Amino acid sequence: MSGRHMGAVAADQPPQVAARGPRLRRTLGGAAVPLLAAAGLAAFWLFPNDLGLMTRIAATALYVLSLDLVLGFGGIATLGQAAMFGTGAYAAGIAAVHLVSDPLVLLAVGGLAGGLVALVTGALILHARGLTLLMLTIAVVQIVQEVVNKARDLTGGSDGLSGIEPSPLFGLFRFDMFGRTSYLFALAVLLVGVLVARRIVRSPFGLACRGVKEDPLRVAALGGSPRRYLVTLYAVAGVFAGVAGALTAVTSGIVGLDSVSFSWSAEALVMLVLGGAGRLVGAIIGTVAFMTIHHVMAAIDPFHWMLFIGLFLMGTVLFLPGGIASLADRFIKGNRA
Amino acid sequence: MTALLDVQGLSKNFDGLQVSADITLALHPGERCALIGPNGAGKTTFVNLVTGVLAPSSGTIRLAGQDVTRLSAQARVRLGLIRSFQVARLFRSMTVREHLELAVLERERKTFRLFASVRRTPGLADEVAGLLDGMGLVPVADTAVGALAYGQQRLLEIALALALKPKLLILDEPAAGVPHSESHRILDALDRLPADLAVLMIEHDMDLVFRFAKRIVVLAQGRLLCSGTAKEITADPRVREVYLGSRANAPH
Repeated sequence: MSGRHMGAVAADQPPQVAARGPRLRRTLGGAAVPLLAAAGLAAFWLFPNDLGLMTRIAATALYVLSLDLVLGFGGIATLGQAAMFGTGAYAAGIAAVHLVSDPLVLLAVGGLAGGLVALVTGALILHARGLTLLMLTIAVVQIVQEVVNKARDLTGGSDGLSGIEPSPLFGLFRFDMFGRTSYLFALAVLLVGVLVARRIVRSPFGLACRGVKEDPLRVAALGGSPRRYLVTLYAVAGVFAGVAGALTAVTSGIVGLDSVSFSWSAEALVMLVLGGAGRLVGAIIGTVAFMTIHHVMAAIDPFHWMLFIGLFLMGTVLFLPGGIASLADRFIKGNRA
Repeated sequence: MTALLDVQGLSKNFDGLQVSADITLALHPGERCALIGPNGAGKTTFVNLVTGVLAPSSGTIRLAGQDVTRLSAQARVRLGLIRSFQVARLFRSMTVREHLELAVLERERKTFRLFASVRRTPGLADEVAGLLDGMGLVPVADTAVGALAYGQQRLLEIALALALKPKLLILDEPAAGVPHSESHRILDALDRLPADLAVLMIEHDMDLVFRFAKRIVVLAQGRLLCSGTAKEITADPRVREVYLGSRANAPH
């Protein structure tokens, strides 16, 4: 009897909870992009001497966002996202040195290259799951790095690729030495990226990917093909990562081997976990937090800054398992009570 | 009229152990049939063979005249051969509404629309509302499935199957795990299934079987023992024999 009673309570309560939660969250979600734009512009005025760092943060945020798409929404465990980022960066860099200089075209080249690498490698490795897949993604990033290293004539090998000089944006705005154009360009690309990613997440395709993340066999029982969803998602995220790489190349003027490294893949994962996987804004919050702490701590103590990052990460994982972005959930819950 | 499901001489061996032997069974549109049998009779194997999870050792399966014996499980789903699961297999973090949206979008093959909006897909909201209403799930439409009572999860399983517009629906113990006092809600839902839909139910709850099925098929040791109405089945001495000792509440 008491068990039935409990069941009835459990069945009756969620609707009220659900009625307010998603609506408030949607309102907050709708405000996320304007808030992000406002914060980005405010930073432009407040920290005119840190535009270089902030540009790198914006481009990196787009890269972490691409990881969030595969890991947070598709459940693909990967430590190889830098394969797409680096390919995009090198493709844009090589194109800039030899072929074109228009920054938007260079982003497109990077996105295409990243998407292509993701499509091909994804089709080859995404039959695996879990740890096996993790190993395969590491293998991919190592192979791509080795290919880049060996192709010295094109990539500059371990010296890196330099001499990337993009022409003025829209033929109007020169990439000035203070990095103003670079920063505003990177911020705008990031915002567009967030909008596109949000659109994908809320699309029928995004819904199917969430289903695959939870139970691929159940999706198959609905008539869907889990692997096709995963490969497509991986390729789409590869485009994002490739654009992020190209953005870094265009705004910094150089591309190094570390952009296509295992450790750069792992750092993206750290930033995503810090911010909160499975929510787009988490990728951005995590990147900003990680890179800011990195910057400040490395200036204070160049030898032990990694220790602070580690402590910060442990604190987040222990006390905020959903990442920094999950603070918003606590706020919503607290508001309700 | 040709049978909707036509199973001929279906057999399955696992390393020499015959778990399904020469099963022949036909189901017509609108039929309400129950498959019963003691534990280990091969009911689940039979379902897995028909739905394409397992490949048969011999025999053929036809759906609406088309030979589907070699088709994948997914291809069969797309032809209207839909099953519900014995243990509710749902996406725990997704809401009830999202489940049904996904099922309808899968059926209409719209899931590769990357830049469309789920909420603005024409006709989707209305169809999902109809499915929610049909199973009495409107009050919990926006609740994550992890927070649902078990009985409601079972109802969602049935709604999910219906969202795929089945021609043949296989219900694998639709009332399993539901308290007896609540099983009438499942039965009410089953009573409202589309009339032209063929339903094959695998169930242990004899009350449910007798109330729902017009025809009962008994499986024992991988073989088709007999088939008939509730009255014929209960009167059959062979049925009494296979159930004797293995079940206290044998058909009576």
